[in-house]
Amino acid sequence: MTAEETREPGQQAGRPVLGTLAVLGLAGYAWVASGLPPFSGRALVGVLIPGAALGLIAYGRPPERIPAPDRIDLTGFSYWVICVAALLEWEASAFRDNSLSWHPSLTALIDPLIQPHPVRGAAFLVWLLAGWALIRR
Amino acid sequence: MITRTITIVGFAALISAMVTLEFVARRGSTRIPTAGQWLGYLMRSRAGRALVLLGWWWLGWHYFAR
Repeated sequence: MTAEETREPGQQAGRPVLGTLAVLGLAGYAWVASGLPPFSGRALVGVLIPGAALGLIAYGRPPERIPAPDRIDLTGFSYWVICVAALLEWEASAFRDNSLSWHPSLTALIDPLIQPHPVRGAAFLVWLLAGWALIRR
Repeated sequence: MITRTITIVGFAALISAMVTLEFVARRGSTRIPTAGQWLGYLMRSRAGRALVLLGWWWLGWHYFAR
């Protein structure tokens, strides 16, 4: 008999319900936090709370983690390194040129896109879920 | 204005390249790790874990608090 077969029906149903409730709670938090005025103390607290919460969970009571590979192929990994390094260099050159209209930074391009509250809220939720995915690694 | 277009195309090309890498990595039978795999590899140590989580938090602060 497998572990799946021996599990109580309530346990099987409980996890998806809890997961759905958690995502709904995070979506509510994302909606409120993304509506706070930028450059304000409240906006800073809005991102400090999830950061502190995930930090505590990651080091205090980490969830079941997805096993990391013992080694990764260096050649395969180098493709990622090249892309990330090029992206950082492209971003840095925008700041170096100091002419955002001619050479906009990624931030200058993304900011107007995430100005509408629903889009900003969705982006905030994606950020929260990415944080959760990271502490499971 | 052409400089602005070149910049935007550069960002789009680099982001597209990373999406393509993830797509190829998920097809299996390749040496390229998925983003989750290499992030997990970097996060095996306590310091690596702290740095990656700090990077995640910085992104949130940069885009949502500023």
